[in-house]
Amino acid sequence: MSHWRGQMEAVLASVCFGIAPIFAKKGLMSGLNPFYGATIANGTALVIMTLFIVLSGRGRQLGSINQYGIFLAILSGVCNSIALVSFYWAMSIGKVALVVPITCIYPLFTLLAAYFFIKKSEVIDIFTVMGTLLIVIGVILTV
Amino acid sequence: MSILLSILCAFAWGIQSIFLKMAMRDIPLPTAILTTLTINFLALVFLIGIGVGRGFLEFYNVSGAVYFFFVLAGFLNYLLGRALYYSSFRFISVTQSTSISASYPIISVVFAIAVLAEKLAPHQFIGIGLTLSGVYLLMMKGRR
Repeated sequence: MSHWRGQMEAVLASVCFGIAPIFAKKGLMSGLNPFYGATIANGTALVIMTLFIVLSGRGRQLGSINQYGIFLAILSGVCNSIALVSFYWAMSIGKVALVVPITCIYPLFTLLAAYFFIKKSEVIDIFTVMGTLLIVIGVILTV
Repeated sequence: MSILLSILCAFAWGIQSIFLKMAMRDIPLPTAILTTLTINFLALVFLIGIGVGRGFLEFYNVSGAVYFFFVLAGFLNYLLGRALYYSSFRFISVTQSTSISASYPIISVVFAIAVLAEKLAPHQFIGIGLTLSGVYLLMMKGRR
């Protein structure tokens, strides 16, 4: 059951990731610099998430949480930010037809990093490799 | 240069999920999401502060409609999408989750066909077929 839930969450995440650019594109049609759009979008999520944590009473737990876990989450946020900035930078100096397909190979990096760093908790078999390759090639052909 | 930046983007986006999966062993999901959102927001504010764009006053010139579109995009992408994506790490492997959620361009294309009546090129049909096959393989993984 939990396996099914995880898959459904990943599929629904994909739906959200797929619909969001349509609204972002509508906003960018005004000529706004993408960094401002990303700041508004990110700021919205940050405000809602902060409210959720405060109103649900989770705010009191923040002082006692594991520092190493926070360090890893910060590293994740830094990588996120590097990805965001390098994407817009690449788009501003390169061709969209080249930049977008290259950035779509990111699941391959996840696959490699998972194999080398969290092998114990990851089951990487032929289905994982084949599925990931099919999705990456399919997405590159589609975009 | 743009190729190198694109590869850097893919690399950074690819490994961020590994760090987050490792972080979620020690901290709850909402805290993990809040931390990454805060870092992202600070990075964007820093970039605008050092001169990317036309400074902070530019936010006053943005129309209400444009704000509305980015608020919607932010809610769907940065909040709901990310929460679902990170939450799935608790139940399936990060590789499986990342690959399934990476199929999102298909959703955009289907939406473009349905709403904007756009037409697809033959290679795009092949791409959709391959992507759906990949998603099916990953969905069926571990099932009997």
